[in-house]
Amino acid sequence: MRFKLMLVTVSLMLLLVSSTMAQDTLTVLCTPQEDWCVAMTQAFEEETGIDTNYVRLSSGEALARVRASQDNPEFSIWWGGPADAFIAGSEEGLLEQYESPNAEDIPVGYKDADSYWTGVYVGALGFCSNLEILEELGVEPPTSWEDLLAPELSGNVAMAHPATSGTAFTAFWTVVTLKANELEAEEEGTGYDEDGVPTEAALDNAFEYFAALHQNILQYTRSGAAPGTMAGQGEVAVAIIFSHDCTKLQVEGFQDIVTTTFPEEGTGYEIGGMAILAGAPELEAAQMWYDWALTPEAQEIGQTVNSLQLPTNPDAAVSDLSVVLADVNVIEYNFQAAGANRTALVERFDADIAPEPVD
Amino acid sequence: MQARLGASQIRRVRQFAQDPLLVIIAIAVIVFVVIAILLPLAATISLSTSEEGLPLFERYLFDSTYQTIIVNTVVMGVLVATIGTAVGFLFAFVQVKLNVPFKRFMHIVALVPVISPPFAVATATIVLFGRSGIISRGVFGVRYDIYGLDGLTAVLALSFFTVAYLNLRGMMEALDPALDEAATNLGAGKWRTFRTITLPMLAPGIASSFLLLFVESIADLGNPLVLGGNYEVLATRIYITVIGLYNPVGAAVLCIILLMPSLTVYLVQRYWISRANVVSVTGKPAGKPQTINHPVVRWGLFLLVMFICGLIVLIYATIIIGAFTQVPGVNNTFTYDHFDFVINGLGREAMEDTTSLSIIATPIAGVLGMVIAFLVARSKLPGRGALDFATMLGIAVPGTIIGIGYLLVFNNPITATLPVVGEVTLIPKLTGGQGLFGGALAIVMVYVIRSVPAALRSGTAALSQIDPAIEEASISLGADNARTFRRITLPLIRPAFLAGLIYAFARSMTTISAIVFLTTPQTKIMTAQILNEVENGRYGNAFAYCTLLIGIVLIAIGGMYMFVGSRTGAERTIEGGT
Repeated sequence: MRFKLMLVTVSLMLLLVSSTMAQDTLTVLCTPQEDWCVAMTQAFEEETGIDTNYVRLSSGEALARVRASQDNPEFSIWWGGPADAFIAGSEEGLLEQYESPNAEDIPVGYKDADSYWTGVYVGALGFCSNLEILEELGVEPPTSWEDLLAPELSGNVAMAHPATSGTAFTAFWTVVTLKANELEAEEEGTGYDEDGVPTEAALDNAFEYFAALHQNILQYTRSGAAPGTMAGQGEVAVAIIFSHDCTKLQVEGFQDIVTTTFPEEGTGYEIGGMAILAGAPELEAAQMWYDWALTPEAQEIGQTVNSLQLPTNPDAAVSDLSVVLADVNVIEYNFQAAGANRTALVERFDADIAPEPVD
Repeated sequence: MQARLGASQIRRVRQFAQDPLLVIIAIAVIVFVVIAILLPLAATISLSTSEEGLPLFERYLFDSTYQTIIVNTVVMGVLVATIGTAVGFLFAFVQVKLNVPFKRFMHIVALVPVISPPFAVATATIVLFGRSGIISRGVFGVRYDIYGLDGLTAVLALSFFTVAYLNLRGMMEALDPALDEAATNLGAGKWRTFRTITLPMLAPGIASSFLLLFVESIADLGNPLVLGGNYEVLATRIYITVIGLYNPVGAAVLCIILLMPSLTVYLVQRYWISRANVVSVTGKPAGKPQTINHPVVRWGLFLLVMFICGLIVLIYATIIIGAFTQVPGVNNTFTYDHFDFVINGLGREAMEDTTSLSIIATPIAGVLGMVIAFLVARSKLPGRGALDFATMLGIAVPGTIIGIGYLLVFNNPITATLPVVGEVTLIPKLTGGQGLFGGALAIVMVYVIRSVPAALRSGTAALSQIDPAIEEASISLGADNARTFRRITLPLIRPAFLAGLIYAFARSMTTISAIVFLTTPQTKIMTAQILNEVENGRYGNAFAYCTLLIGIVLIAIGGMYMFVGSRTGAERTIEGGT
């Protein structure tokens, strides 16, 4: 009996504690690398006194999680990860519109016209290669997507799974775009339809490419940056990751081990998005985060933990180590179409490509 | 005849119902088992057989890609079961039948894999034997490809062989040496005796170890995620279906496909092997087992076991040393950073959450196991066989299926509409960040149901060795059931209780597949954090987590021995028999 009484009191107390806590807390769904999530939440906590918690999930995982808990959202704000996932989320009604006063400072190309999401950083996709392993295999650092198909690289390429990782999906859509451009160059109207969306034929060609690449892939990781570490540790020769994640590795102890190269025919890039989730339990705090994350000060935090994405706020300082988009051959990346097709494409990738056995 | 049977049944029910306390406890236990085990399982099954699910069976079972995955899963299971059982047999054989030094050391080394988190071995294996491994590349200069079936098999066999070892050692010790002696006296050589006496007597033990390892390995999620390479198995497929695609129907269908071999094996083990048990364990063996003195056999096996021990020690040394190393295998500078990260930084919350939830779950699982054991072995509860079976499902069913079942059942409150009161919440939302206690209750429930089966088994084993006459004596002296249980039964099954507690705590701290879908922003779990660290190649942090986790489990085991354990001779005998 006494035990039962105790149980009841304890649970009541816990309920009380959790209900009082709900007032000045913020739960962030954070997609970039872990140390950046830590730095951001700490800085925000210091700035506002709001007890800020985060969970790091890769882009696709985050979208799946938000979808799974849409009736009862666990998170209030989703920060970081390619905009494609945010566009997919807003089409499914998972995001809340918010017109932040600070969004005015962000260039038009880096934010949603309907204010569902705003870009917080930008970065280009690249190849991160382990020099020693490449030399051993007798291969030069890859400078085109075709280079990755070299038979010498069999089992020596790693990328993430597009279903879980926004990085990998960016890579996928980049190839879709390149294939569409190829078709378009051959015959107008075959690569893109009248709305500028890549055609079914372009998609099929991209799937063909990834089916061929699959023969060289060692493992599809969950998170986008993980293949970079595998390259650094010599488990694979080449990783398809964002160039800033490769730079981060170089700064953090792999400087003579890995190198970044870009495909000459063109590479994709990401706009790291941010959005408030529909039905956010901590709406006010989420809006405070939203406004804050667009300020130059907040956007300069990444550099302190070697996350060298480019800030979207033009007033934020740019690290010398960052890869400036103007220096790279960046493709015309149709975020809207990428986001709209994301779910269908990753399902097809997961069904047709990822589980295929390797010869 | 029929009527007589019916009458006797009614009499038994009536007899059982005489003790109100027992009835209340039985009902509470049954309600818990139904809610925590059967409901999630039923939800998964019903979703997979829904209109959306049924066509998927056809697609998955007849698609060549999925067939490959299913074959992969079974091949891996068979290989791990074979090798793991062989290694377990070897260790047991050396312990019981050989007179060699370092036996105590071998025993302890063989127990180590039980208390370590699943990724520890896989990650250390990559650091040691991966493509840039310290040993494979550093010592032998080869860029060995550990990813795939070979690496997976080795790691899983090393992680799970302990079960086979303990199982077979117990049986070997219980073998009556008189049989060996008889064979020898009749002129059989050692080899012939081994082949015609020892092996057939151990066959049930070998078979049940094999099946246990098969089930454990096909259910394992952590190792294939880290080491699988392009070798896809069902567990990883289910994981990506949920975590990347949020396709509960597809996941449920794959779950049922995975459940079929697991459940078959479980049923075979339960109803066939346990019946085919030819060993007559009479209690005490009649003498000391004969040892084998043939030098080649003796030292050959000794070296083999020492080699495997060396491997295990090497792996665990890598974990501990790696925890103090900047980037294990690449930059080997000494550092405390990883521990700082886990103890003072990000890992602290996960460490505290996991430990406290395990501490909550452990006594519940221990007591529940003993109570169910009592109900099954001693009471006249109708349907006690079914209760035993349902409880055992908690471990017979792969963890991923439990996790998905929980998401399906508890992601929304369960309500009922009553005539007068209107809508009432029977069970609030348990999973996800907005769930009860930030989702912690669901995790505790999973910990409990995953640990209870072991406690139940050791409890029934202990009870079956205690003569019911002792309890009857207590009752005829005027004590009621509760008093008898507390004063007579409980002290006698204390060692089994302790074993159940230790298992429950170690299991809770190291479980991953069942809770990987249930962690929430408020409730972080160490094993899930370790997976993150491993996946992102931050091996140092992962090793620091593992080292601390192993430390916590060891401290807890020590603590439980102090509080619950006593080492009087009589109780040890019972423990030895479990």
